[in-house]
Amino acid sequence: MAVQLDDAVDKRAPRIGKGGAPPSGRATGTPRTRTGRATPYLLLLPALLATAVFLGWPMVRNVLLSFQTLNMKELIQHLTVWNGTGNFQEILGNEEFWRVTLRTLVFTAVNVVLIMALGVLIGLLLARLGTKMRLTLSVALVLAWAMPVIAATTVFQWVFDSRYGVVNWVLDQLGWHAMAHYDWVGTQLSTFFVITLLIVWQSLPFVALNLYAATTTIPKELYEAARMDGAGTWKVFTTVTFPFLKPFFLATTFLEVIWVFKAFPQIFAINKGGPDRLTETLPIYAFTEGVGNLHFGMGAAISLLTIAVLLAMTAYYLRLTLKQEEDEL
Amino acid sequence: MKRGLIAATAVAGMLMSVAACGSSDGSGIGADGFKGQKLTVWVMSGSNPSQWTAQVSKEFEQKTGATVDFKVQQWDGIQQKLTTALSEDSPPDVVEIGNTQTAAYAKAGALLDLGDLKKQIGADWSDSFNKAAMADGKQYALPWYAGNRVVMYNKKIWAKAGIKDLPTTRTELFKAFDTIKKKTDAEPLYLPGQNWYFFDGLTIGTGADLVKKSGGKWVSNLADPKVAKAMDIYKTYQSFSDAPKNKDEATPQQAEVFAKGKTGAIIAMGYEAATAVKANPDIKQDIGFFTLPGETAGKPEGVFLGGSNFAVAGGSTEQDLAKEFLKVALSKKNDAQMVKEVGWSPKSADLASAAKGNPAAEAAAPAAAKSGGTTPLIPEWAAVENVPNPIKNYMTAVLNGQTADDAAKAVEPEINKRLAQQ
Amino acid sequence: MKRSLAGRIWPNATAVALALGFVFPVYWMFNTAFKPTGDILSDVPVWFPLHGTFAHFATAVGAPDFWTLAGNSVLVTALAVGLSLLIALCAAFALTRMRFTGRKTTLLVFMVAQMAPWEVMVISIYMIVRDADMLNSLVPLTAFYMLMVLPFTLLTLRGYVAAVPKELEESAMVDGCSRRQAFTKVVFPLLAPGLMATSLFGFITAWNEFPLVLVLNKEPAKGTLPLWLSQFQSQFGDDWGATMAAASIFAVPILVLFLFLQRKAVGGLTSGAVKG
Repeated sequence: MAVQLDDAVDKRAPRIGKGGAPPSGRATGTPRTRTGRATPYLLLLPALLATAVFLGWPMVRNVLLSFQTLNMKELIQHLTVWNGTGNFQEILGNEEFWRVTLRTLVFTAVNVVLIMALGVLIGLLLARLGTKMRLTLSVALVLAWAMPVIAATTVFQWVFDSRYGVVNWVLDQLGWHAMAHYDWVGTQLSTFFVITLLIVWQSLPFVALNLYAATTTIPKELYEAARMDGAGTWKVFTTVTFPFLKPFFLATTFLEVIWVFKAFPQIFAINKGGPDRLTETLPIYAFTEGVGNLHFGMGAAISLLTIAVLLAMTAYYLRLTLKQEEDEL
Repeated sequence: MKRGLIAATAVAGMLMSVAACGSSDGSGIGADGFKGQKLTVWVMSGSNPSQWTAQVSKEFEQKTGATVDFKVQQWDGIQQKLTTALSEDSPPDVVEIGNTQTAAYAKAGALLDLGDLKKQIGADWSDSFNKAAMADGKQYALPWYAGNRVVMYNKKIWAKAGIKDLPTTRTELFKAFDTIKKKTDAEPLYLPGQNWYFFDGLTIGTGADLVKKSGGKWVSNLADPKVAKAMDIYKTYQSFSDAPKNKDEATPQQAEVFAKGKTGAIIAMGYEAATAVKANPDIKQDIGFFTLPGETAGKPEGVFLGGSNFAVAGGSTEQDLAKEFLKVALSKKNDAQMVKEVGWSPKSADLASAAKGNPAAEAAAPAAAKSGGTTPLIPEWAAVENVPNPIKNYMTAVLNGQTADDAAKAVEPEINKRLAQQ
Repeated sequence: MKRSLAGRIWPNATAVALALGFVFPVYWMFNTAFKPTGDILSDVPVWFPLHGTFAHFATAVGAPDFWTLAGNSVLVTALAVGLSLLIALCAAFALTRMRFTGRKTTLLVFMVAQMAPWEVMVISIYMIVRDADMLNSLVPLTAFYMLMVLPFTLLTLRGYVAAVPKELEESAMVDGCSRRQAFTKVVFPLLAPGLMATSLFGFITAWNEFPLVLVLNKEPAKGTLPLWLSQFQSQFGDDWGATMAAASIFAVPILVLFLFLQRKAVGGLTSGAVKG
């Protein structure tokens, strides 16, 4: 699924073109004129229609719910009780929401940085390995990557079980006896540690494998030139690899931000946002308040605020991409 | 418009069937009236023992000509599932609802008033059972089964420690644990820090109330010294155990720990013996039970009567048939079967004989009768127990060294918030 | 270029350590699944299932409706992914190869659609499906799963479509192919690896979905495998052996699919790269 790579290839194409043949994209636009004006719309119709019906409609419904009191009673008796902006007032006036928001931002930042940094390192390592070793590590990465989230969270719970978990046993054997029955989900920090480990473990393969695949597209001459200039490993990375794969980094970071921010089963399964709701991120918060406590209107309101936060976080990339689109066609 | 209509007809149907139930019980519908119909009954996973199920299904079919379809539900996400199901046009007809959850569903208008049926079939049910099936003075459900915790102990380990007489007071029990600790290499007791229903029992024992009224609203009473006293007893119990302080008795399954034969005792429900035997068949001969001893020999420890009620969905289209089902399912004979087959506590005095021969049920009975209780029976309570249950956090905090007062203060805002949201 | 001995050893040593780290949880799942309960709840971990047993697998597969649920899962996942690929491919083609008004807005719609908080929208979806009288059906489930994976599929395929040189398509058209023929005969085969790679994400998302199916399909026979998997953890507490056996069964199809498709995907990529 080394998708971003292709994105990278795509964006890169004109740049390479500069050296040799004239860039192909714009010059050969002739077939387009033969295309009927309606064609693009027809091609887009199924996707837009499906999105409108299966996402747009629930979203509108969600917006409506956010202005209602919808608890167990209202749901069961099919009552519609409007309460204006009451839900939003309550949430925004509650300090807890802001704490959760801040926590979510920090959590996302820490995870994404870890994933990107380690992912790049592993990707570069892959490039450096011999064929057999590379295959071994790739298979290991693919196995971790392919592990279904539900199965993975279950395994992590088991591995970190305080009494029979293998992690505590190993730490104990290594001489750290205080960890013999250590309760990993007992404090906020240790719970986040387990969750972060799980998320990073699951996300690294995507970044590492894609980065490796992407580096194979970088023309060898560029590296050779850099080496001849006497550049070290770090210099080569900053002068050749990074600039060349910038679109890849941007796109991957964008995706990881969304994925980490939205991470739900991982956090929920490990300790349901506990202890004391201290590991709740915005999606968990919305779920616990809404679905868990059966205050669906409140949950809807929080979910809308959640989207707003996510949009704000990704606004930079969204704008950048749209601008690029302008340049391209 | 359409939804308004459905709601209106549902309410009308509810009223009509309430009015009609007096007549339908007597003559109204004969044996053939229900022929070929099907009744859907939701039971929780592990609730309905096989013989009981077979017996009830057969009897119900013979009596009404209709069939019953038991649908076993998993615990994961049951609240979402049940709430949404009760909002549908064709909800399950009869549902099992935990006795601490019943008030909330009743208040949401989801359940049918079963007052007449209770008079008919449940006149002699003990009050401690029946209380948890009521809300606002009305009978919105009928008690199906309930049980309470006992001490499940390993006879071999206790013999090895040289303990001859089973403890009859709490002090004797702690002394026994101490002896086991000194004389054997076994863990005297396996008690994780979040066995919340055991703790609830202790608060019943100390006479504590978990909630109190303040300014017309229910608020937490966790900082009450009586609660602290119960927690102190829990802490002493827990000091005999290496079990994790932040887990409950299901992670890992405490009976499976017990099955390994290195644990002196667990505070368990009678049916957990089966889990232990399944994990290790050899453990069977070593398992014994006794009543949780209290402060004095005459009065056993306070216990939480955990169990389930049967309720009829307000939106059910088969309400008369549902009542017929309840008459069968909750008959003396079938209630006795529940006691015999699973070891549940007897619901009325004349069921006590059914507990004979089931050591777990026998051990449970004295506490159930003399010192059984439940969680606060207010509709708002159910929300407090929602994951993550703040009281479990309180327990872990105290066990980890916080004072009961500080720990209570830390979780009270959350409890109050939940109590306020209905 | 010769590297020093240390320079040759450390990458390999790191790789071995990393490989072990990544594989361990997967291994531990299988290991636990095969161990008898006594070995699972053991004070000293049992590293290899020497007293291997299939008992946990029997428990897992013996749960009611297992095969029905497995069938539903396969059907729903395959349909959702297939449909989203088809729809996304059309859209991706339009978005990369054609110029038209509203193109940027469309793109923005899909980028934002990727952020939809599905877990919390469950209740509004439920109300829509309930009021449409479509509960306990695989159709709405398929439709919503399709949409859960559509934005990612579409945005990703865009990259793949863009990587297929326009010249190929054009020369095919010069040779007398219609635009559609040019697409099916020339472009599509080149896209195949990309399609496979993209589908992986869809498979894993649809295969894992739990909150929605929980409330939409309460009929036991209309559920999917995540419902089945969850029961081993919650039924009277944790039966780790059965849970891990169930998790293994649940994971194997995706693991196999990944190992198979990943090769194609990377192959597709590198071949795509040559063209750059």
